[in-house]
Amino acid sequence: MGGNLLMTAQRRKQRTALLLLLPALVIVLIFFGLPTIFMARMSFNLHPDQRLFVPGFTFEHYAALLSNPVFTGAIWTTVKLAVMASFATVVIGYAFALIVWLKPPRWRLLLIGVALCPLLISEIAIIFGWWMFFPKNGLLSYALHSLGLVNDKISLMYTEFAAFVGLIYVTLPYCFFILLSIFDGIDRRMIEASADLGAPPLTTLREVLLPLTWTGLLVAFSQSFIWTMGTYATPSALGPDTLWTVGYLIQEQMLGKHNWPLAAALSMVLVLGVAAVMVLTRSLMPKRASYHV
Amino acid sequence: MTERTALELENVRRCFGSVVAVDDVSLAVAPGEFVTLLGPSGSGKTSTLRLIGGFEELDAGAIRIKGERIDHLPPYRRDTATIFQSGALFPHKTVAENVAYGLRMRKVERPERDERIRQALDIVRLQGYEDRYPSQLSGGQKQRVALARSLAVRPAILLFDEPLSALDLSLRLQLRGEIKRLHDELKFSAIYVTHDQSEAMAMSSRVAVMNKGRIEQVDRPEKIFHDPANEFVFTFIGESCCLLVRCSGTDVTDRNGQAIALSLRDSLPEGDSRLYIRPSRLKLAAEAQGLPNGLTATIHFIEFLGDVHRYHLKAGALEVFADHAGAIGHDVGALIDVGWRSEDMRVFR
Amino acid sequence: MSDALARRGFEPVMLKALGAAFMVFIIAYILIPVLVTLVMSFNDASMIRFPINAWSLKWYQDFFASPQWTDALKSSVIIATGTAILSTVSGILAAWAFERFPIPFKNVLYLLIMLPLFMPGVVLGLGIAMTFGGVQIAGVSIYGSRALVMIAHSLWAMPLVFMLMEATFRTVDYRVVEASYDLGANPLRTFIEIVVPMVSTGVISSALFAFVISLNEFVMALFLTDRDTQTLPVLMWLSLRSAGTPRLAVASVILALTVFACLALILVWYVRQLRKVSRN
Repeated sequence: MGGNLLMTAQRRKQRTALLLLLPALVIVLIFFGLPTIFMARMSFNLHPDQRLFVPGFTFEHYAALLSNPVFTGAIWTTVKLAVMASFATVVIGYAFALIVWLKPPRWRLLLIGVALCPLLISEIAIIFGWWMFFPKNGLLSYALHSLGLVNDKISLMYTEFAAFVGLIYVTLPYCFFILLSIFDGIDRRMIEASADLGAPPLTTLREVLLPLTWTGLLVAFSQSFIWTMGTYATPSALGPDTLWTVGYLIQEQMLGKHNWPLAAALSMVLVLGVAAVMVLTRSLMPKRASYHV
Repeated sequence: MTERTALELENVRRCFGSVVAVDDVSLAVAPGEFVTLLGPSGSGKTSTLRLIGGFEELDAGAIRIKGERIDHLPPYRRDTATIFQSGALFPHKTVAENVAYGLRMRKVERPERDERIRQALDIVRLQGYEDRYPSQLSGGQKQRVALARSLAVRPAILLFDEPLSALDLSLRLQLRGEIKRLHDELKFSAIYVTHDQSEAMAMSSRVAVMNKGRIEQVDRPEKIFHDPANEFVFTFIGESCCLLVRCSGTDVTDRNGQAIALSLRDSLPEGDSRLYIRPSRLKLAAEAQGLPNGLTATIHFIEFLGDVHRYHLKAGALEVFADHAGAIGHDVGALIDVGWRSEDMRVFR
Repeated sequence: MSDALARRGFEPVMLKALGAAFMVFIIAYILIPVLVTLVMSFNDASMIRFPINAWSLKWYQDFFASPQWTDALKSSVIIATGTAILSTVSGILAAWAFERFPIPFKNVLYLLIMLPLFMPGVVLGLGIAMTFGGVQIAGVSIYGSRALVMIAHSLWAMPLVFMLMEATFRTVDYRVVEASYDLGANPLRTFIEIVVPMVSTGVISSALFAFVISLNEFVMALFLTDRDTQTLPVLMWLSLRSAGTPRLAVASVILALTVFACLALILVWYVRQLRKVSRN
């Protein structure tokens, strides 16, 4: 009898847990799980002209992704852009976090406030900000011209450089805060110990700080890689017309060309890409891991 | 049915995986009794208390409060009140709100509730602190609020979970006295968990010594100290030295077989034995004369402990320490006689 | 020997100079688009063009006089508020379940809840648009409704709330919760009266996070809204594609001001909370 009572207590607890989880699970399962399955199915449907889709089963959309130079080019562009932007973001974010970590506390709050800015501002507002900075009549051209550094008005608008500047701006705060939290877990006296043992600053960075922050670097990189891979607004608004990312194509196929199966197939490519990066990051994590915390 | 017991544990058992934390524990607490669970860490005393409070679930056995089984009830339906080690005050509620909480849950209405809050704070001498937040109180004050909060609901039994162990010594002694005084006045039933012997001895009606999930002995503090039921209780309560000796025929040697100058009134059993004696009961030099048991040993080193000097002695492989008020004029390396009465010694095989 | 000495002396100085230069660079980098936008919003001209010759509040008046833009702002705030409520409630409950209850397949469920956070907005938006595009409830199409956008935004906001609150709940002294049970409060009562107030800072921060994410998001919203439910960022994106005017700068400023107003409110609340506890 006592056993029965205990069983029911255990079961009651599990039921309560399930009840507590229910709202979250409903959101995730119905509005993420279901659409993902729906999209996976959609990517095999047929797409005759003038119709969104017709139920059927074909690999032609995936075949197109692998053979049509527009799509292979877009996938290549997306990966290249994500790697380069993430790398730059991590380098800048690392230096920024390191400096904030080393600065005395009264600087810290101010700098963290500055770093929060891009996080609190909408991507569209960021795009628009740079949109006013780079073109011929923008601030950059005006500033350089009135300083006498250039003779003619210049425009950096619609270049890959502008796209990078925008992308890095959006991902930088995430990198910065991930890395800062890792740095905060390191005993600052370790730097003094290293210097005391005769290591100059750059050696300390290489021998002490980099190994200690390796996990954070990895997480920060994959975080910005995943984000950059899925975005399309910033590169398509600031970059050249030829800068087609997978995200841009999805949007174009869906809203412009009304080709649902192809848009779904492109989305599945992105989903698989994100999953691959997550698995890869996980496998690169040191097993016995986290020196921090 | 008359109330003969406030609380009754019957063959209570609790396992964590393969570890048996509480093993077949039975214990009855009479109304108004103050029972202490004393034991080293990991002995199962806190687990036992948490079983009573309902924070852990029983694997076997029964728990009764005033004769009624409560082991299937969640903590909020049990008529118990726990004073936690940390106090566990609600940080976002004032002192008065903390004390009011249990009364509100028991649907005690306004005028009576206020009266009982006032009384409870009176009892722990915290009048005038009603509107403070826990973060504005000292450690001792926090523990007194915790006590008031538990007293206010007038539970069938109060459960103390090492409530003084986080405080410093002088505060601990002061609060210990206060809890004792309150118990004398209010006659509440209580179970008090501690690993501090002096706390257990000073406060309790009865002490239950626990070891490895079992109760080794339950009795009045004096009996526990003077008449320990077994080797564990003897060694755990108070200080003791242990002589490891071997007996074959009439020869008494140390474990290595080396002869030692040990004379005992009663002969030892054949083979290996352990002799336990309290260092305070060992007499040295002239005072050892005429006692029925004696040992001649070398002074190894001497410690000054304030009230007494502690003489560390060696005889063969035996090591003994004896406390003596004041120096006795012997130096390290000298031979010295040690003697003791038979009733101060216990022999275990 | 002298070589080593010189290096040891030179390196720190150089690094210090480099550090200072980098600091100036990063602050400039972050502030440029903010300041450009702020300045441009007070421009009197109708073209985006530097230098600015005349200043006025003309575009602010224009923004508030335009029903299209104020409706979009209203829509944004409604959706963001809904998202904040939805994701905070569901995220907190789930985090509490994870922290205090035995859950079968815990790792799988954890991954499931966190996964949407890593999905590109374009994928989430597309999936929901395709799946619920034709669905009607009681004759009303749910596609294009604000509720659907709230749920979509919650796919990002809820995992964040969940993560934050899980960490927060871990800091709660569980003895305090036990003390509440012990004094006779059932789990629901304990959760509302003891647990939530104890983590109120975490709750408020999570809600703010959720609000900001939803307010600023525009890729999912682009897929899921129609002309009547359009949010401000969506409208900004569409106008940027046609032509940029200082009105966009005004919209940017107002969007940011909404965020900072919330932040300020929470800061005030937080300071008051601190005062209350450390009074006297």
